[in-house]
Amino acid sequence: MRKAITDGFRQLVSRPIYILLMVVVPLFGAWFFLDLMEEGLPLQLPTAIVDLDHTSTSRRTARNLAASELVDITYRPESYHEAMKLLQQGKIYGFFMIPADFERKAVSGKETTITYYVNLAYYVPGSLSFKSFKTTAVTTQGSIMMTSLVSAGVGEQLIQNMVQPVVTQSHPYGNPWMNYSIYLSNSFVPCLLQLIIFQITAFSFLQEIKRGTSVLWLKNAGGSIVKACMGKLIPQYIIFATVGMAILSMLYGFSHFPVNGSMPGMVAAMLLFIAASQAFALFICCVIPNLRFALSILSLVGILSFSIAGFSFPVEQMYGAIGIFAYLLPIRYYFLIYINTALNGYELFFCRWDFVAMIAFLLLPLSMLWKLKRYSLNPVYIP
Amino acid sequence: MRRILSNLSHWWSTLWRSMLNQYKQILHDQGVMMFFLALPLLYPITYTLIYNPEVVTDLPMAIVDHSRTSQSRELARMIDATQYIGVSGYASSLQEAKEWAKERKVYAILEIPEDYARNLGRGEQSVLPLYTDMSLLLRYRSILFAMTDLQLQLGADIRTQALDITPAALFTAPKESVKGVSTQSFFLGDPTQGFASFIMVGLVILILQQSAILGVLMLGGGARERRRLHDGIDPEEIAGPMSASILGRGLSVFTIYMPLTVYILHYVPVMFKLPHIGDPFDYLMLMPPLLLSSIFLGQILSAMVSERESSMPVFVFTSVLFLFLSGITWPHSAMNPLWSIISGFVPATWGVEGFIGIDANGATLADMSTQYIMLWVLTGAYFIIACYSERWARSYDRRHFRLPSVP
Repeated sequence: MRKAITDGFRQLVSRPIYILLMVVVPLFGAWFFLDLMEEGLPLQLPTAIVDLDHTSTSRRTARNLAASELVDITYRPESYHEAMKLLQQGKIYGFFMIPADFERKAVSGKETTITYYVNLAYYVPGSLSFKSFKTTAVTTQGSIMMTSLVSAGVGEQLIQNMVQPVVTQSHPYGNPWMNYSIYLSNSFVPCLLQLIIFQITAFSFLQEIKRGTSVLWLKNAGGSIVKACMGKLIPQYIIFATVGMAILSMLYGFSHFPVNGSMPGMVAAMLLFIAASQAFALFICCVIPNLRFALSILSLVGILSFSIAGFSFPVEQMYGAIGIFAYLLPIRYYFLIYINTALNGYELFFCRWDFVAMIAFLLLPLSMLWKLKRYSLNPVYIP
Repeated sequence: MRRILSNLSHWWSTLWRSMLNQYKQILHDQGVMMFFLALPLLYPITYTLIYNPEVVTDLPMAIVDHSRTSQSRELARMIDATQYIGVSGYASSLQEAKEWAKERKVYAILEIPEDYARNLGRGEQSVLPLYTDMSLLLRYRSILFAMTDLQLQLGADIRTQALDITPAALFTAPKESVKGVSTQSFFLGDPTQGFASFIMVGLVILILQQSAILGVLMLGGGARERRRLHDGIDPEEIAGPMSASILGRGLSVFTIYMPLTVYILHYVPVMFKLPHIGDPFDYLMLMPPLLLSSIFLGQILSAMVSERESSMPVFVFTSVLFLFLSGITWPHSAMNPLWSIISGFVPATWGVEGFIGIDANGATLADMSTQYIMLWVLTGAYFIIACYSERWARSYDRRHFRLPSVP
C-alpha cells in the first residue's frame, strides 16, 4: 500500500501539468471570480437620458436618475434615434426618455408618458438599469400626482399614503446586499474545482493504460485494484483537500462572505464533495477505460455542471427529463448544503440527505472496478 | 524574377498541400472530429434544452396572514394570479413558514400585518414584510418584479377608490389627474425576459471558439507525439514556408466550420425561437475573423500541449473564464482594467459583443465596426505569432527528441 501511494505521488510530480492544474488553476479561478466581481454589484452602468422637454421638471427627473448609484448617465442624446443607436451598439444598457411638453401636460392633467428602454441581452446590467429607471419613473409620477392633489385641496398626510398605500418591505435573506459575487463565486468556484478533479482523476488513471504501464501499476500494488486506485486517489485527495480549504478561506475568510450556519459543516461538505467528485470520475473511468473518451465525457459533464446544477436557472423549473441529471452530480449536493448552511444559516439537519447522497457517490466505483482491472491487465491504446 | 515566381508557386503549393493534408488528418481522427462536428452540433441544443423553460413561473410562496380579512385574502389571490408567484399555502405563524423554507417547500414568505385592512380603510400606509431566498438571483428577481408591479397596481386601485370619497372629489376630477403621467418600459434584445434567449446568443459564439481551439490543440498534440516518436520530426509534416503551412491548415479547419456556423447562428435560434433579428450577411461577415483568430490562437497554444489528450485538461476550464470575460453577465464597464485588457485578447469577447449587437439588438455590421476591426487585428496578430511559435516548437522538439526516448 505504501508503495502504491509513493508511486501515486511520484506520478504527480513527474510532469508540471498535474500541479499546475490541481493547485494553480483552481486557486487562480477563485481569485479570478473574486477579483472580477469585487464590487459586488455592477455600479455606474453607462446609460443615457433623452430630455425632449427641457424644463425644470425634466431636469429634476434627470438629476434624480443620476443620483442612483446603479446608473451613470454617460450620454445625453437629442433624439430617440441617437439613443437607440447607442443602445443597439451596446454602448449603453438603457435610456430614459422624457417626452416633449412633459411639464405642461403633467401640470395641466393631460396624458403624457415617460418611456424607458433597456437592453436585456445583457441580463444583469439590463435588469439593474431597469430597476433604477422604474424607480425614477414611479417617483416622478408620484411627485407630480402629489402636486396636483395638493392643488386640488387634499390633505398632505393623506396624499403621502395615497401615493403608496401598500409597501412591501423586502428582506433578502442571507445576502441583503444582493451581492452578485456572493451569489456566483460560492457555486462557480467549487464547480470549477469539480471539473479539475474529474479531469485529473481520468488523466492520471487512464494515462497508465495509454502508455501500457498499467500492468506494472497493478503489479506494484500487489495485484489489488483497490490498493492501486487508493495509491493514486489518496495523494490527489490530500492536494485537492488542501486546495479546497484554501478556497473556503478565500471565500469566507478574505472575502468575508456570510457564513450564517455551521462552518465545520461547510468544511465537512467540501471534504466530502472532493471525495465524491473523485469517486464519480473513477466510476466513469471504470465504465469507459479509454483516456480520450473518458476525458471527453468528464470534461463535458464538468462543463455542463455549471448550467445543469441549477446555479442560475432553478432545477425544478427545467424540463423534468433534464433537471433530473442535476442530481447525478456531486456539485448539486454541495450547492444545496452551501445554501442551507452558509447562506441561510439553517441547521445541518435540513441537508442530511445531501450528505447521504455524497457518501453514496463514494460507493459507486466499487461496482465497476473489475472492468478497470481487466483493461489494466490488457492495455490497448485507442487514439 | 523567375526566382520570385518559383518561390511564390512553392508558397502556394505548400498552402494547398498543407490544407489537403490537414483534411486527411482530421477525417482520420475520431477525437478531433468530435470537437469539430459533435460539439458544435450537439452543445447548442443541449444548452438550450436546459434553459428553454425561459422564465421561472409560480415560485412557491408562503403567506402569513395576521389580518384575516377579505382584503388580505384578495391580496393573496392577486399574488397567486401573477405569472411568477404561486401561493403554496397559509402558514399560521412566521415560525411555521420558516420551517417550510428550511424544507425547501417555499422560496418566499409574505407577512400581512394585523392592521392591513384597517389601514386601507383609514387611508394609511401598510408595510408588508417580504422574506426572499437569495440562493438564486433569478428567483429573487422574479419575486421582486412581481411584487413591485402588484404594489403599484394595488396603489392605483385603492387610490381611485379612495379619492372618490374624499371632499376633493366634489371640486375636481381627481381620477384624471391621477392618470396624467404614465410610464412605459420597453425591452431590447430579449423582450420576453427569458433566460435561454439571454444566454444562448452569447454562448453559441463561445462554443464556436472553444470547440475550434480544442480541436486544433488536439491536432497539435498529435503532431507533438509523432515528433517525439520519430526523432523530433513529424513524418506527416509538409515542408515549405511556415506562413503557408499555418494558413493552409487554418483554412482547412475554417472550411469545415463554415456550414456549422450557419447551423449554429441561423438554425439553432430558429429551432428554439431565440432572438434572431440580424441580417444574415452582417452576422456571417463577423465569423471569418472570429474563426480564423480562434484557430490561430489554438495553433499558438498548441506549443504548450505535449500530447493529444492533455489538450482537454489544459484548456477546457478556460470556457468558464472566457464566458465571464465576454461581458454578457458581468458588464465590461464594471471590470477593473486588468480583466478588461485581458478580455480584449479573447476573440469571443469581440465576437459575442458583435453578435449580440447584430442578432439580438438589430444593429448593422457598420454599427459594430469596432468589434469587427478588432477581430481582424487579432487574426493578423495571432497568425504572425503562430508562425513563430510553431517554428520554435519544431526546433525545440528536433533538439530534444533527436534520440528516441520514452517520456
